[in-house]
Amino acid sequence: MNASNPIPTDYETFREGVRAFLKDALSPELVRAGERTTSVFSDFEAGRKWQSILHAKGWGAPEWPIEHGGTGWDIQQRYIFLEECKLANAPNPVMMGIQMLGPMLIHFGTEAQKQQFLPGIISGDDVWCQGYSEPGSGSDLASLKTTAERDGDEYVVNGTKIWTSMAHHSNWIFCLVRTDKEVKPQAGISFLLIDMATPGITVAPFPSLDGEVEQCQVFFENVRVPVTNLLGEENQGWTVAKYLLEFERGGQHFTIELKKQLSKLHRLMTSETNRAKDDPTYAYRVAETEIDVMALEQTELRIKGSLSAGDNPGALSSLVKVSGTELGQRCAELLIEAAGQSAIPWQSEVLSPEYTGETAAPAECVTTMAEYINSRATTIYGGTAEIQRGIIAKHVLGL
Amino acid sequence: MAAQMTEDQTLLKDAAERYLRDSYDFNERRERIAAGHYSDPTQWQAFADMGWLALPIDEDLGGLGLGAREMAILAELCGQFLVTEPLIEAMAVSHAILGNSAQKESLLVQVAEGTLIPVAAIDEAGEAARLSPTTQLTEDSGQWRLTGSKQWISAGASATHLAVLANSATGLAWVLVSVDAEGVSREIYPTHDGRGGASFKFDVTLDNAQIIATGEIAQDALTAYRELAMVLSSAETLGATQAALDTTVDYTKQRIQFGQPLASFQALQHRMSNMLIQTELTRSLVYAACDAADDGHADRGRFARAAKVKAATVGRKVSQEAIQLHGGIATTDEYIVGHFFKRITALESWVCSKGEALKEFMALPAAQH
Ligand SMILES: Cc1cc2nc3c(=O)[nH]c(=O)nc-3n(C[C@H](O)[C@H](O)[C@H](O)COP(=O)(O)OP(=O)(O)OC[C@H]3O[C@@H](n4cnc5c(N)ncnc54)[C@H](O)[C@@H]3O)c2cc1C
Repeated sequence: MNASNPIPTDYETFREGVRAFLKDALSPELVRAGERTTSVFSDFEAGRKWQSILHAKGWGAPEWPIEHGGTGWDIQQRYIFLEECKLANAPNPVMMGIQMLGPMLIHFGTEAQKQQFLPGIISGDDVWCQGYSEPGSGSDLASLKTTAERDGDEYVVNGTKIWTSMAHHSNWIFCLVRTDKEVKPQAGISFLLIDMATPGITVAPFPSLDGEVEQCQVFFENVRVPVTNLLGEENQGWTVAKYLLEFERGGQHFTIELKKQLSKLHRLMTSETNRAKDDPTYAYRVAETEIDVMALEQTELRIKGSLSAGDNPGALSSLVKVSGTELGQRCAELLIEAAGQSAIPWQSEVLSPEYTGETAAPAECVTTMAEYINSRATTIYGGTAEIQRGIIAKHVLGL
Repeated sequence: MAAQMTEDQTLLKDAAERYLRDSYDFNERRERIAAGHYSDPTQWQAFADMGWLALPIDEDLGGLGLGAREMAILAELCGQFLVTEPLIEAMAVSHAILGNSAQKESLLVQVAEGTLIPVAAIDEAGEAARLSPTTQLTEDSGQWRLTGSKQWISAGASATHLAVLANSATGLAWVLVSVDAEGVSREIYPTHDGRGGASFKFDVTLDNAQIIATGEIAQDALTAYRELAMVLSSAETLGATQAALDTTVDYTKQRIQFGQPLASFQALQHRMSNMLIQTELTRSLVYAACDAADDGHADRGRFARAAKVKAATVGRKVSQEAIQLHGGIATTDEYIVGHFFKRITALESWVCSKGEALKEFMALPAAQH
């Protein structure tokens, strides 16, 4: 029990309250958008609508401090909320603003920046994308080449960013840019907040392997950005970014999604359509996966339990990220085995929340292949599994 | 590691590889599929002109009379070049099923010429129906009728004819129907591997000539078809697996991060070494399964299933690793390596899943020596 919270929270009542709200607030279209989510992003419009509904309820950013619009819930309540949203098939709003930039602004931003940007993030009116990676700088992010040169009260930005998820839907981008070429790479990087409507920005979307469009390349040609849009000090961008990356890695509750995958697997185990039910190892592999999910859940609780809201989980977030993403990949493999040929149809229109017609794949398999494909990206974005293992070796094992 | 091939096999492989390298461009393929053309009629005609479609047909029926080893050479290249035309389907059907038909001469000539593109239709909704179909062949005062439905037929979009597995009063039956025949409805859909699938409904009256085989002959044809399909899908998986590995090795030599090529990181070198080890082990088993099939070896059924299991396992692992070692670039549809992954995934459960192959393998005792 928490000293600042002497009355024990009645979590079951809390859960019921969340459930009642979700039942009421989630339209069939929103639920379909949730069900037909095949990556971390749901249908864009549905996710945006859902964010505005959550915001109206005062639940727009439960992880934020209460003075910036947070809910004041404890860790357990936040977990219950996320779990119920997942179980009710709520769509995922684009989360770069709320999950990634918000904590940075709160930590590093000036008062004026917080006032300017936080309200638009929590309401969902502003959509943010993350401009870190470049064609030549992925794992070796510090080698990035997009430059920002100071010209009076403005920076002039030139260069290109790639794999910028959702840039084609975003009106703001937070970027890492080079402001000093003379010093060691990490020491010459700054963190800029850029309005996508600024002249000189071009966005080129391209299809992912599942055939959907989520990724973009963003080009900057003499883009003028006011110096007041610098987050943190000039040349301190690496420190800001590192803080953010750890949030990105540890800030997800992998086990909520994993448990949902497991319940799908359990349903499939007894299903007539399960292509893998004759595989003698299948049930064992499902059970082993379940045990690994339990181990991860207990680890998440152990790590989160020792942190208070807003704290940064540090290098341990790498452990959770590697385990969570690789377990997600295992679940996706088990699901594709059970679906067999029925998962091979690719019908893009079916993924739209408006679609209510017939599907070539059976209902429970329409997203299976896309989920399997997209599960492969989870060990690449947000710092690859190899880079995470490197962080553990260096910062946990001290090698 | 070189595979042992006869001079004729080497000639076949070199010519086919040269053709596909020159004429089967990845970007053209992408555009064609996006436009809804899952197979290219001029490619199919070229395959016919090069003798690929005649290759599995007996010499006395006007074919080249070659075996699983030669078919596997083509299948491997299909994997390497991501061929979307139903070549392994057509080879397996013409070799294992159509030869039983009383009309085999005329049918197989059409296959060899490229005018008849046969695909087998076995799968139905519901697992129990897979090898004991609910699709019925019935006779009513001398008139044959086929009723039922088939689902998720890979390359169903490109077939001109289906070899349909049905149940009849005398057990299993194979029936040949044109996809355009009255009473056949076809629902085509795009697929993640670019092949274009289809589901079919039948309520068709048939000529005697359309009934290819019934009873024990049909059962034997099913066994022969499945085993050949397992071998050819393993070979195609192998080709795609090797190509995924080669692409990864090339890319990691070019891509610089932290001031050096990715390929210089020992952590990645070991991963690629494992990919190579597993691919070579698979290759041995696939070629052995071909030889066992061609020699009529008592263990050919075991080898077919062993090849299927090994190729499915290794193909999955290697293509996953190929994506991981590329990083972000592998996750765009514009880059080739993810297409190997998608095709390998589709092949994993084509005709028979890895689990089914494992179970069948366990039920087949090794022959005594
Ligand atoms: C779906 C998706 C969404 C993304 N969204 C965004 C986004 O919104 N914003 C953004 O900025 N970026 C985004 N990214 C980019 C992502 O962060 C990068 O892909 C990632 O950092 C890896 O960089 P890379 O793709 O250049 O791969 P590379 O860095 O070239 O790495 C290729 C492979 O080499 C390995 N490797 C690299 N260095 C080493 C080493 N020293 N030792 C061992 N192995 C090594 C890597 O682990 C990887 O397996 C996204 C990526 C994907 C796939």
